[in-house]
Amino acid sequence: MRLEAQEISVRFGALAALASVSLDVQSGERRALIGPNGAGKTTLFNVIAGELRPAAGSVLLDGRDVTSLPTWRRARLSLGRTFQRSALFPRLSVGENLELAVRRGALVGRRRAVPERLEAAGLSAVAERPASSLGHGEQRALEIELALACEPRLLLLDEPMAGLSGAERQAALERLRNLPRSVTLVIVEHDIDAVFAIAERITVLDHGVKIADGTPAEVRADPRVQEVYLGRP
Amino acid sequence: MPAVLLAVLISLPFWTPSRYWVSVAIQALILAVFAMSLDLLLGFGGMPSFGHAAFYGMGAYACGKLFPQLTGAGLLAFLVAGMAAGVIAALPIGALAVRARGIYFLMLTLAFAQMVWGLAFQWTSFTGGTEGMSGIPQAVPDWLQEQGQNLWPALRTAGPFYVVALTVAVLAFAGLTAITRSPFGRALEGIRENEGRMRALGYPTYRYRLAAFVIAAAFAGLAGATTALYNGYANPSQLYWHTSGLVLIAVIVGGTRSLLGAVLGAFFVTIVQLVISSYTEHWQLLLGAVFIAVVLFLPGGFISLGRLGWLKR
Ligand SMILES: Nc1ncnc2c1ncn2[C@@H]1O[C@H](COP(=O)(O)OP(=O)(O)OP(=O)(O)O)[C@@H](O)[C@H]1O
Ligand SMILES: [Mg+2]
Repeated sequence: MRLEAQEISVRFGALAALASVSLDVQSGERRALIGPNGAGKTTLFNVIAGELRPAAGSVLLDGRDVTSLPTWRRARLSLGRTFQRSALFPRLSVGENLELAVRRGALVGRRRAVPERLEAAGLSAVAERPASSLGHGEQRALEIELALACEPRLLLLDEPMAGLSGAERQAALERLRNLPRSVTLVIVEHDIDAVFAIAERITVLDHGVKIADGTPAEVRADPRVQEVYLGRP
Repeated sequence: MPAVLLAVLISLPFWTPSRYWVSVAIQALILAVFAMSLDLLLGFGGMPSFGHAAFYGMGAYACGKLFPQLTGAGLLAFLVAGMAAGVIAALPIGALAVRARGIYFLMLTLAFAQMVWGLAFQWTSFTGGTEGMSGIPQAVPDWLQEQGQNLWPALRTAGPFYVVALTVAVLAFAGLTAITRSPFGRALEGIRENEGRMRALGYPTYRYRLAAFVIAAAFAGLAGATTALYNGYANPSQLYWHTSGLVLIAVIVGGTRSLLGAVLGAFFVTIVQLVISSYTEHWQLLLGAVFIAVVLFLPGGFISLGRLGWLKR
């Protein structure tokens, strides 16, 4: 699914969290969105997903203007997302978490897909446990699987690798790299190795402004990017 | 556990020492239906309503208002009228209240319920004002009236209606159990746990919350209709915030997120209110103390004492 965010502006009081930011992601593309803390990456995701109404600008999915559609309607157009801080159903079991995801807002059917999903996420052994009892790595795996279980055609991933160990990171990376091309991927990630391993194009935000947009090589060579982001240890 | 409870309740009129206890059980069963309906909102939906009496009272008033027309139609007509009244009141109130969360939802439901109470209190020509409406028949079906007296000759007055109250409670339990275990109930729990995530998964959460509010009001209206039939009257106290508070205490003390917990809480509250109050005027003090103790030391309510396994769910 193609994603176009056109000249999005968001204000929080006096703060311009996003100042006329545009993003054009082709169907099937792997795009990374990077930038220092507070750059506006999560804010942009919230606008695309429908959680935040922008002060100006519009969001198009496959050319259709969805700016005024609520979150759940966009989700039903196959937009999936993960959250920077895991957004699970803590007191429900892992299996029940996934059951809600595979139903995708409907009340009928699809429950049979749960065991496959548990398997794919490596969570079969903990299917009966409440989500709150999982370790951080398992919670992140479930976080990603909740989004994947909806079979999205556009997937927004907000720092999926944050806090993962080396092995867990590798497993998550593998899972993302194996996604079919029918899924368009936009990933926010601070782990620069992961970004360069996945992304075909990179967009860089800083203080609500887009400062670069190009192939990994172009972005790596960009002096402004090096200054505000990559150059810093 | 539900089976044990059911066996005790079915056999109760046979071994209970007096008809007084049957009347206590009837009132406990009615409160149990009311409490289960609130638990759908509070326990499963995470919506703490402090105005649930509005729908309970509406159910009672529907019977009070319509009994001249409904008497010929029989028991079922009264119960359906009570549920319909709950639904009719819940649609506009819920459409607004469900937009709020947590303490704001609680205050809004309280405010709406007090408005309904004020209306019943002051619109004397329509509602009977302070007096309310009386003379509502028990509407026990004839066959039950006769059979009930044959079965339980010692319990001429209370016996037949006990069957009505127990049947209503069992059906409400079965209905609400089916709802909470359905995909709808699971989605409601998902909304309680993380509404933002549910939206992101494609669930229209406002509609789900409103649906839960209306279903809960329908069962509250059913309880209200049952109490109106049993007591023969509808009056403003059934709509008052005291009633909302009492059912809230019943659910919390018994254990939220469990219909059985709500039933246990309802029996406890009824026994304190009716039985302990005949020994001491300080029954409210006792209820308050137990409520505080449960909130502090047993957040899962009485039902959580059964962690041993067989009592759970
Ligand atoms: N709801 C809000 N109210 C007020 N300010 C907000 C709100 N959400 C975000 N902000 C501010 O907007 C700016 C952008 O925040 P955002 O979360 O989008 O950054 P980010 O790029 O995702 O950063 P990080 O890498 O730390 O996750 C920050 O200065 C943040 O403090
Ligand atoms: Mg962020």
